Amino acid sequence: MKSLPPNPWPWREGSVVVILLLSLGWLGLAAPSFFKPAALWPWLTSVAPVLLIATGMFFVIVGRQIDISVGSQFAWCSVLAGEAASAGWPWPGILASALLAGLALGALNGLLVAGFKLPSIVVTLATMVTLRESLRAWREGEFVRDLPDSFQWFGLGQSLGQCWVIAAALLLWMILWIASVRLSVFRWVYAVGSNAEAARLAGLRPARITFGLFAFMGLLTGLAATLNAVRFTDVDPKTGAGLELQAIAAVVVGGVSISGGRGRLWGVLAGVLLLACLPSALVFLKWPPHWEKAIQGLIILTAVAAEGVHRARSRGRED
Amino acid sequence: MTPLSPPSPGLELRGIDKAFGPIQALHRVDFDLRPGEIHALIGENGAGKSTLIKTVAGALEPDAGEIGVQGRTFRSLTPRLSRELGIAVIYQHPPLFPDLTVAENMRLFLGPARAFCVIDRSRQIERARECLAAIGSNLDPTLEAGRLSMPEQQLVEIARALAAGAQWLILDEPTAALGADDASRLHQVLHALRAKGAGCCYISHRLEDITGLADRVTVLRDGRKVACLPAAEATGREMIRLMVGGERPPSDSSPPHVAQPDSSAPGTRTSPDSVLMRVEGLGCKSSHLREISFELRRGEILGLAGLVGSGRTELARVLFGLDPLTQGTIRIEGQLCRIESPADALSLGIAYLPEDRRRHGIIAELSVAANTSMASFRRMFPRGWLDLARERCEAQSWIERLRIRCQGPETLAGTLSGGNQQKTALARWLATSPRVLIADEPTQGIDVGAKAEIHRLLQSLASEGLAILLLSSDWPELLQLSDRIGVMRQGRLTAFFSKQEASPEAILSAALGHEVTAA
Amino acid sequence: MRTPLSGETGRHELVLMAFLAAELLLFSFTGRRFATAENGFEILRVSVEFGLLALVMTPVILTGGIDLSAGSLLGLCAIVLGKLWRDAGLDPGWASALALAAGAAGGLLNGVLIARLKLPPLIVTLGSFSLFRGLAEAITQGVDNFTGFPDSFLLLGQGYILGAIPAQVPIFLAVAAGLWLLVHRTPFGRSLRALGYSPEGARFAGLPVGRNLILVYVLSGAGAGLAAIIYVAHLGQAKADAGTGYELLAITAVVLGGASIFGGKGSVHGTLLGLAALAVLKNGIALSDRPSEWVGMATGALLLAVLSGEAMLKKMSARVPRSPTRDSTSMPSGSP
Repeated sequence: MKSLPPNPWPWREGSVVVILLLSLGWLGLAAPSFFKPAALWPWLTSVAPVLLIATGMFFVIVGRQIDISVGSQFAWCSVLAGEAASAGWPWPGILASALLAGLALGALNGLLVAGFKLPSIVVTLATMVTLRESLRAWREGEFVRDLPDSFQWFGLGQSLGQCWVIAAALLLWMILWIASVRLSVFRWVYAVGSNAEAARLAGLRPARITFGLFAFMGLLTGLAATLNAVRFTDVDPKTGAGLELQAIAAVVVGGVSISGGRGRLWGVLAGVLLLACLPSALVFLKWPPHWEKAIQGLIILTAVAAEGVHRARSRGRED
Repeated sequence: MTPLSPPSPGLELRGIDKAFGPIQALHRVDFDLRPGEIHALIGENGAGKSTLIKTVAGALEPDAGEIGVQGRTFRSLTPRLSRELGIAVIYQHPPLFPDLTVAENMRLFLGPARAFCVIDRSRQIERARECLAAIGSNLDPTLEAGRLSMPEQQLVEIARALAAGAQWLILDEPTAALGADDASRLHQVLHALRAKGAGCCYISHRLEDITGLADRVTVLRDGRKVACLPAAEATGREMIRLMVGGERPPSDSSPPHVAQPDSSAPGTRTSPDSVLMRVEGLGCKSSHLREISFELRRGEILGLAGLVGSGRTELARVLFGLDPLTQGTIRIEGQLCRIESPADALSLGIAYLPEDRRRHGIIAELSVAANTSMASFRRMFPRGWLDLARERCEAQSWIERLRIRCQGPETLAGTLSGGNQQKTALARWLATSPRVLIADEPTQGIDVGAKAEIHRLLQSLASEGLAILLLSSDWPELLQLSDRIGVMRQGRLTAFFSKQEASPEAILSAALGHEVTAA
Repeated sequence: MRTPLSGETGRHELVLMAFLAAELLLFSFTGRRFATAENGFEILRVSVEFGLLALVMTPVILTGGIDLSAGSLLGLCAIVLGKLWRDAGLDPGWASALALAAGAAGGLLNGVLIARLKLPPLIVTLGSFSLFRGLAEAITQGVDNFTGFPDSFLLLGQGYILGAIPAQVPIFLAVAAGLWLLVHRTPFGRSLRALGYSPEGARFAGLPVGRNLILVYVLSGAGAGLAAIIYVAHLGQAKADAGTGYELLAITAVVLGGASIFGGKGSVHGTLLGLAALAVLKNGIALSDRPSEWVGMATGALLLAVLSGEAMLKKMSARVPRSPTRDSTSMPSGSP
């Protein structure tokens, strides 16, 4: 029995990057105003929170789980941060409240999935609705207003604030990218996603790692919610709707296998940026913006189907 | 427990007993492994090798006996304890992380389990290279483990075990599916290990492996140790003789009531007439089957012998449509057949009683009645709805006819004993009125009484005209039931024996590829 | 040793019925005009739409799969119906038939991806969840709202039969009866159960696994189409957000009814009981003048409670040895 040829070039991630560069180039030519600072910075600022969510989702999916309650967690963290701000808390307190809220909500998911061994799709489906509805019951649609001036843009004004938001997201992403390759706890996630049984035999503890995945996702959600909330002067309780699908789409497009165990974070960055170009691309193509959700769904299906076809073919090739 | 004799530096199993329900898998087995030796453990399928290995690995607790490791004595082991004592078992499908590189696979099993340490990737690769070099392998550690071939995966596992400090390596049929090159590469590795002072226990049935490799050979038969020889005395003939046994051990004697009431003692059965199935040049690339040709007549029981890796089950899978045919033809009653799915096979009248009865033969959570009707929907329910009364009634008649011991047709199949589960599976296929039945190890792990019943069933079915392809590793069963016996080895059908020519030695020799010298 | 008999354990249904009784008792005190026949019929009327989704979700979950796109497909079919009627001038009958066909087509897409490409149902239906809703939004450009249907059509959702029974109830009952027969009394239904317990075992038994899987999702899609027709007739309008959140209600009803999310175990009558519990919950909360958000919270909490409770029970009580799901050397099995 011959072994297969050496590791293939990362064609999935590579192709996403290529498509991304092509799209950006095309946009630059067709709609140069896209790259003017006045448009580019706000765009990047809006992408920053999505990048963080997608990063958390990356680890969840690599660990062979899924979390569709992220959007509802995001809303809760945003509102809590806003409430903390309007109650006059200093910035460290505001940040802490968002992070802790996210951590707690993520830990809840983790407990149910890892502790009771329930499938993550059903658990996060239930927590998604419960969280969303409970928030609606509390706020009844009411925005969090009367925020102190120090809230928006951290009190630094728009241009500096935008820099901070983008820098924070990018920096954290980079740290996590390096960590995903070099920090052993993150490699454990890959191990568990690749073969949970072997992980157990190797002395890793799949249940704890799975719990950690959801808790970490919650933490990142809290941070992302904060970075997003500072863009505005008030907090909309309906924020975060559809965020989970955006994140999953970005991760899947970025070349991560839905069956876990493999994937590269730089692919996720490319995926996030590519999907974020979508609204602008639609505007240019003069397509109505309402096509966004449909295209997102189509992208998920195509990416997953492509992986399925590829896997079926490589299975057949092992003769 | 204080040992009475001076502590031996080796790994010893003393007086191990293990039973699974009514089956006595091991009976007072002794086995010892010295450092710096390669000790072969041979025996037929079902002789008890796997059970012995599982005991050493800590996966099973013996009913009696003790395990000694370098002077320390244990009643039983756990997987963790076994690893700590330096025992490593290398299975055919080692548990690796397919998506990670070889280097990372090795680190995960070796390294300290600290969560927040930074990995030095080049050091990781270096270390993996060193570990592999230590066993003489130049495998590239940057390859993904899932892309390795099976022998390469085994090498990784061996390197890993050694690096983790294993001194006692147990290899479970490592070369069963290997070609000559891979096998000799593995032999070199084992020589290297021996030179290092590790003790290797090597389970195999490939005599050519043993003659060049082992220092000592232990032979198991029917759960007992029958001999432990130095390599010099272990000739092919001698080993075959020991594996087969001059006489049938007591546990195998058929109870008196096996004698057929309707005198269907083989030989007096209506001699099989027309050819029902003709297979010519059958090959399946993915299962390594090549040029298999045979004929199967109505009312004939064609026995198929062969050892692990010979391809018998793979052949059955192709005949039943589970795996694709890439070469050759299958004809039934002269008509060329395309069998691309089990449904196709069923419509042609081919039924398959699989080896893994719990996973494939029955569905444990459904009742006996639901299991028996599962392949006969079209016949039993022509109008499209389930007639539960009819299903129960037919199930009841099968329960009576096959003597399935259960609390009625509504009993859940998973709660039945092995023999009764097998009968339920058999009932399912018989309900389809097949023309050909492929029975894969039909009485494996079944108590003597049920075994005899199943034998009787198969014989009476054959006398009614059913053609049976009997895949079996049980010599008495094979010899008693078969009209002819074919032998498979490494994906080919290599020999045929008629009833008169067949003897355990002859068949085993053919299965091993060993020349049978005039005895 | 006790050999458990096959057939659904009555214990789960008893607990569910006790829960239902408790609900009825509670709401008869806290709710305005809760314990009236009129209200009873209202409960029925309002539950038909997600009830249909729950019914056709049952065979899907029996096979060990899931359909997260059910609610979105309802929305898409509603829009298709509205568009065909208003802009293409078809009469409501034909528009409905085509909407039904659209539902089946959506289910076919799911089924083919899951059965032929062997993709996990979770991610496929997540993608189609987005796709179907997105198509609905795209067609209506997010704002369009089809209204003004003829009274003859609206009778289906707003009319009464025999003076008191809402018109959609007989349809629902017919579908429920048909589905019960399909799942519990046909070979097809039996094969779904076998597939859910043991995909390998079903294949070895010669069952047409791939084909049945596709059919199950097509059925789910057609159910969404039918639910869409009734939804539009009931509300008198077709908007792109029709059916939002219905998939959770459907899945909860099925799981409440005793189905295992891993496949094999489950029943149509269980789903009906689960539906009853959820419908009463919804209605009772509304009539008790509590915010409608409590329904979602209660549903989510209920689902989690049932699943966790089952998980704990599984750990504690003795159970039938399950079909092995991992590759393990077959050991001789002696009887205990």
